[in-house]
Amino acid sequence: MTAAPPRSTRPTSTGATLYGMYIGGLASAALGNLFIRIGTEAGWLPQAGRTVLALLSILPLVVAAFFFWRLLRNELDEMLQRIVLEGMAMGLIVYVPLAALYTNLRTAGAYVPRLDPPDVLFGPALLVALGIAVAARRYR
Amino acid sequence: MRNLLPTLRAERGWSQEELAERLGVSRQTINSLERGRYDPSLPLAFAIAALFGCRIEEVFMPGAPAEQ
Repeated sequence: MTAAPPRSTRPTSTGATLYGMYIGGLASAALGNLFIRIGTEAGWLPQAGRTVLALLSILPLVVAAFFFWRLLRNELDEMLQRIVLEGMAMGLIVYVPLAALYTNLRTAGAYVPRLDPPDVLFGPALLVALGIAVAARRYR
Repeated sequence: MRNLLPTLRAERGWSQEELAERLGVSRQTINSLERGRYDPSLPLAFAIAALFGCRIEEVFMPGAPAEQ
């Protein structure tokens, strides 16, 4: 049987770059959201401008997602792939029931705090990051 | 699984980083393998055995890993 083809052995630096892109993408999306809300309340951002800003502000995140997918498929070795996938699964497992609970509690009229867009945006991202940290610790 | 990776690696004077480079994996993976925290896939297990000129069962054995 032939040996497995070698993959990149510098996942740490690639991962750090990607992590920075991901954080930058989240920051861009959150800032875009903030400017849209400020522009709406101040009255200086028309509807078309708000829509354009909404689309432009998530572009860095789209780019980060593309490179993340490429990293996951082509550059991470098998153990690091497993860590990332387990982390994402953990984030999803925690987030989906919480989201369903929040939705149903609001529908039931129970008092739950109103979630702002940054809460919705950063919640899953933080849960996935936490999941990856937990998974990485298991294999250390 | 238990394994003889640390011993085999030391016999050749390789660092974990060097072994990782030869196998095309990360140093973290080598560290986790040696500590028994991660079991390799079949292709990787075969690659490791071929690199050391051994059979798979001479590198990896069933049972709890020895405490490092």
